[in-house]
Amino acid sequence: MADSSSLMRTLRPWLGVLAKRRRRLWLGGGLMALTLLSALGLFAVSGWFITATGLTGLLFAAGVAATLDVYVPGGLIRLFAVTRTASRYLERLYNHDTVLRLLADLRTRLFAALAGQSSRVLAGRRASDWLNRLTADIDTLDSLYLRLLAPPAVALVAGALLSAFVAYFVPLAGAVLGAALLAGWLWFTLGQARLGMAASRRHVSELEALRGGVMETLQGLAELEAYATLAERQQRLERLEARLHESQRQLGRRVALGNALQVWLTGTAVAVTLWLAAGAFEAGSISGAVTVMLPMAVLAMNEAFGALPAAFTWLGATRGAAERLNELADPAPAAEPEPTKAPPSGELTLTLDDVGVRYPGALEPALDGLSLRLAPGERLAVEGASGSGKSTLTALLGRQLAPSEGSITLGDIALDAWPEEALRRRVAVLTQQTELLDDSLAANLRLANPEADNEALWQALDQVSLAAWAGALPQGLKTRVGEGGRRISGGQARRVALARLFLRDPALVVLDEPFAGVDRTTAQALGAALDAWLAGRSVVYLVHKAGGEVALPGIQQTISLVNGRPTRAATIHHGPEGSPQ
Amino acid sequence: MPALTATRLLTDLAATQRRRLALAAGCGLLEGALVVLQAGLFAWIASALLVDHRPLARMALPFALWLSTLPLRGLLGYARETLAQDASLAVRKRLRHRLLDHLARLGPVQVAGHHTASLAYQAVEQVEALDGYLARFRVQLVLAVAVPLLVLGITLYLDWLAAIFLLLAAPLIPLFMALVGMGAERLNREQFAAVSQLSGHFIDRVRSLTTLRLFGHTERATQSIHAAADGYRVRSMRTLRLAFLSSAVLEFFASVAIAVVAIYVGFGLLGYIGYGPADELTLFSGLFILLLAPEFFQPLRSLAQHYHDRAAALGAAERIAELLDQPVPATRRNDAPSPPPASEEDLLVLDAASVAHPGRGTVLGPVTTTVNRGDTIVITGASGSGKSTLLQLAAGFVAPEEDGACRRAPNLRFAWMDQRPLLVHGTLADNLRLADPEADDAALTRALESAHLGELLARLPQGLQTPVGERGAGLSGGQAQRLALARVFLSAAPLVLLDEPTASLDARSEQAIMSALEALKAAGRTLIIATHHPALIALASRRWQLDQGRLEEVPHG
Repeated sequence: MADSSSLMRTLRPWLGVLAKRRRRLWLGGGLMALTLLSALGLFAVSGWFITATGLTGLLFAAGVAATLDVYVPGGLIRLFAVTRTASRYLERLYNHDTVLRLLADLRTRLFAALAGQSSRVLAGRRASDWLNRLTADIDTLDSLYLRLLAPPAVALVAGALLSAFVAYFVPLAGAVLGAALLAGWLWFTLGQARLGMAASRRHVSELEALRGGVMETLQGLAELEAYATLAERQQRLERLEARLHESQRQLGRRVALGNALQVWLTGTAVAVTLWLAAGAFEAGSISGAVTVMLPMAVLAMNEAFGALPAAFTWLGATRGAAERLNELADPAPAAEPEPTKAPPSGELTLTLDDVGVRYPGALEPALDGLSLRLAPGERLAVEGASGSGKSTLTALLGRQLAPSEGSITLGDIALDAWPEEALRRRVAVLTQQTELLDDSLAANLRLANPEADNEALWQALDQVSLAAWAGALPQGLKTRVGEGGRRISGGQARRVALARLFLRDPALVVLDEPFAGVDRTTAQALGAALDAWLAGRSVVYLVHKAGGEVALPGIQQTISLVNGRPTRAATIHHGPEGSPQ
Repeated sequence: MPALTATRLLTDLAATQRRRLALAAGCGLLEGALVVLQAGLFAWIASALLVDHRPLARMALPFALWLSTLPLRGLLGYARETLAQDASLAVRKRLRHRLLDHLARLGPVQVAGHHTASLAYQAVEQVEALDGYLARFRVQLVLAVAVPLLVLGITLYLDWLAAIFLLLAAPLIPLFMALVGMGAERLNREQFAAVSQLSGHFIDRVRSLTTLRLFGHTERATQSIHAAADGYRVRSMRTLRLAFLSSAVLEFFASVAIAVVAIYVGFGLLGYIGYGPADELTLFSGLFILLLAPEFFQPLRSLAQHYHDRAAALGAAERIAELLDQPVPATRRNDAPSPPPASEEDLLVLDAASVAHPGRGTVLGPVTTTVNRGDTIVITGASGSGKSTLLQLAAGFVAPEEDGACRRAPNLRFAWMDQRPLLVHGTLADNLRLADPEADDAALTRALESAHLGELLARLPQGLQTPVGERGAGLSGGQAQRLALARVFLSAAPLVLLDEPTASLDARSEQAIMSALEALKAAGRTLIIATHHPALIALASRRWQLDQGRLEEVPHG
């Protein structure tokens, strides 16, 4: 079956992650089986005990001398009652622990995979809905074991043991039961999975389509109200919702069907086992107590099979999650190329030769035919409106992105041949978007230099005129900056990002809108500090407009980008503050 | 009006599907009755076989009866599940409709005060989160009371002492429920908080991946993710040890009650118990009681399993109720239209109209002025002076305070464009037809040409059917603005309201928009433009200068 082999291919990497915890999984499954077998034992022994006592009681009443050991079965009943509870408790606790360990494994694995990706894959995926889906997908996979692996395995083992147990007393009953349970097991797992695959696989995308539609509608409420097309739009949303609900209805019906079949199969198995056991009793091959015990034991299969139909009807959801994560986690192996020669340690010249970038699916290239040469110590400004290709250029220079055309060299070595560690040490990039971790001020600064001592941090803060502010904070460097730096102002966040640069010692510095969100007076003070720190380093500024609100220090050349194409302003400036000669 | 609480919202919603839910509970109850019947048949057959030595061949009838009840039970289960699911689907559809309707009535300005992504999350995921409560918990709540009562009644009839053993557990049932409930709710809350904190940590690292990589820091970040997840595990296991105990107690009582009943019945059958009804026990009644005992606890165990559905639904309902409770301003409701202006030449008359936002006081006005047909008006002023608010007032997105009025010509249609044009997931044509669903392709092409997008259109192999609006692909900011402008051309609305149409655009897009606006002006449309742009100001025939919400008409043109 091509479909099931592709399913296995999809799940394999994640089963591999699970396999690293093999011993825990076996133990957890064992506890699950123990719980089930205790329930089975409790039913079976109680049935045996009551029948045996009932029959013996009748003999007593008839005045016949009879003996019955009541202590062993009585003890067994109490034992099973206790082990059922205890093993269930332990199983839940232990397996929860396992699932949480798996969560840590999966997140770590996925993050490592994401970290090895080209930034283009991530760039379009900053949106919080994508990130939320990412965590939801991981959560779906971490319960793979608890919903889809352990329960069917335990049910299969319990079914086999039960059939063997029955067969020991009544071979025919054991064979019939075994066949019926196996057929049921196959249906509740594979059959239900097949029934629900299509609908459960598309469920997430239908949910996303609806959420996307709602989001667009809410964002565009002004235009929709103006053009009086809101009602039409709402009808569209209703259609999206109807599609989602149709899938849910279908899945719900199929789960209900599976549950109904499960109840029917187990019930029928009980009745048939009683019938066959009664035949054996009449033939004199088993006792009356055993005749009742066997069907009672079969009753416990309700517990083994109960959760299977729902879990497997929704298998497609797990598959979808795995597919999406595979897309992220299995990129073309971005093996670091062997450096042809050791990267130079001294000054670096940056050269771009006819560089172009075209994003897949984009209508026009993001960057087209850009050539430039930046000698050591030179400062270049690239100006352009939003969407003109500046951020693409930043990504190229930080090697977050590979050019689709042309070549980039740094210090006579192709940029993509630089060893990662050396490149990061020699090139510092300030991205347009300020990225701060939801952590302390110190931790955010130490991203740039984990070895920096407090004194160095204070000095860096002083360079961006934040030392006084940070000094007045009750928790000082330990102050948490909040999610995305939201607890501090945008201007302060920008300055923290700048301060990070000052903790490093790069040869090439790329600054994308360095003073974005910083007020004019502060920016002027920052300009002076920046100018001093930049001395002797090569600099690429990316700005909305060169010589705009706040002049950046020391610009010597300017290139304008319009829709990704350079129009060289080619003004060579000399002297401070970028004033033309 | 009392505030809408989560519990009331849930109760009201469930009440709209009372019939389906009652039918579902009825099916569940019948299932319970069939289970009792099956247990009785089992016990009767066993007793007839072993005690009365009735030959198996003569028991075909009870076996046939038993086998025939089995599909019936399956059928009832199927009916119960589908009825409850249909109820849940209907409720969710209704609630989502109500929520979206309410948001639409609140209008663009109030909606913009919320985070769009979180509103969408409420309207989609949070509404879906009610499913478990509606489709499972509500029905199970009824069954958790009714089925144990049924079982108890029959046991009482068979052997009152055995019933007392079950009943001894019965006073504990509310205690179980409270225990399980409290445990589940607390667990749910704590888990939720911890999980979202952990997800936050992960998302935070993924979001900052570029920076982490630029600083060569990904190795450390990977370790920190593992450490955070593992720290969460250790903390969480500490609370889980206790939380799982509550359901273990329920399990324990169920198991022990079955064991006690089994042992009592066994010793009773042996004649060891000389007290009460024990000497009347038979194999039939004994087995029957034994088979019923687990069914006494089963519905409660199911309820405990579904308890987290309730907690999840309450959490979701709370936030939805908050949103539904936001009042719609009187003049945004359809029942309070202002009378139209006196003259036919007047499109819009503002009569001492002012706008106040809660917490910020009056942000605009009072403004008294008239917009005539064919005017091209620019609104200038520092940021925060109320330019956008004035446009929103003209559009009717915000309501004037009670002592003023904003009167529009009858059936006045208007076009709107701001800095963040709406791009929907679909084709270029879909995006244009937002302004006029009936427009044909020729009209769409003309509109694109008027907005200086004809050149782009000519370059697209799929033409009007080119998909746009996909994240990361498609139109640049300037092109999106021009697309919004094409909608303005398509709409033919006499009044055009533009909020900073040229802000943050490249020179080419700016030029295109400028000449397109000139074309609109020449076509006799009435334009009101909030802008800083000198060329746009030059285009205008009138100029309104705003200063801290006060309007002054500056002689112009």
